[in-house]
Amino acid sequence: MSSYDHFSYDTDREVYSAARARALEALLIKKGVITGSTVDKVLEYFKTEMGPFNGAKIVARAWVDPAFKAKLLDDANAAIAEMDFPAGMSGAEGEHMKVAENTAAVHNVIVCTLCSCYPWTTLGLPPYWFKDPTFRARVVREPRAVLQEFGVTLDPAVQVKVWDSSAQIRWFVLPERPAGTEGMTEAKLSTLVTPEAMMGVAKVKVA
Amino acid sequence: MQTRFEHYAATSMMGCKDSPPRTNGELFFDDSWESRAFGIAIALAKKGHYEWEDFRQQLITSIAEWESEHELDDPSWSYYQRWLLALERLTLASELITPDELEELTLAIAQSAET
Repeated sequence: MSSYDHFSYDTDREVYSAARARALEALLIKKGVITGSTVDKVLEYFKTEMGPFNGAKIVARAWVDPAFKAKLLDDANAAIAEMDFPAGMSGAEGEHMKVAENTAAVHNVIVCTLCSCYPWTTLGLPPYWFKDPTFRARVVREPRAVLQEFGVTLDPAVQVKVWDSSAQIRWFVLPERPAGTEGMTEAKLSTLVTPEAMMGVAKVKVA
Repeated sequence: MQTRFEHYAATSMMGCKDSPPRTNGELFFDDSWESRAFGIAIALAKKGHYEWEDFRQQLITSIAEWESEHELDDPSWSYYQRWLLALERLTLASELITPDELEELTLAIAQSAET
């Protein structure tokens, strides 16, 4: 019933998918279900209002404010609630957040082996590979090898901890503050923090 | 602050296996058709043609189908092809368009892209 059968190669599948998506939108517009600008408006909303990362601001605050950091590690929801985030956007509502701190001795990685539980409001939507089934399976089995593939080489003396998020607990990583950032403001620091760093598959680098 | 539907739709997928890819904070689309499919799915639910939860369940089903038929490291994995399949099924089930007209226009567009 599907014309997927006519398109056996990957490039053909891309052509098919692109044509399918265009056909769907064109037919819905033709029938007056949506207008020509409906999809653009949806995408614009995500581009302009869903960023930037709240998580990066949380990390930067923790780097400059030891009391905030202590609270964040002790009770992440309470600490995040202190941040000036729009309602519903802090990640503090409706889910239990926990923060794992990277140090010189311990490197943390977050994963959800069951699905892709992820502190979405804090980190943004997960990158594509986080959903990759192989990544999910491998990071638990051989985290050092996976980290190596991400370009993170750890000293054998560093302990790797893998935190499995679930519907009950969402983990994120407090990365180490990089050297050479001593004079930076909190706002400047937050621009250095990537979602990958907050998942533990990257370190924060000074641009 | 009032929650926009777009916000609700995206956060409802938070942490679950059907949540869309992002990179460095931005929604991540490999190709422009992926963003079109993303926008259509949200727009149709916003307009009440189906419940967002119905879309999510359809998406979870289509992802599970792929995972049961492929090796985990199969490089042909494409999140948005599963998304598109879910969208197509739900749009047809909602009788917004017919299978025949979708098929016909898809082939016409694909053929014109090849030439």
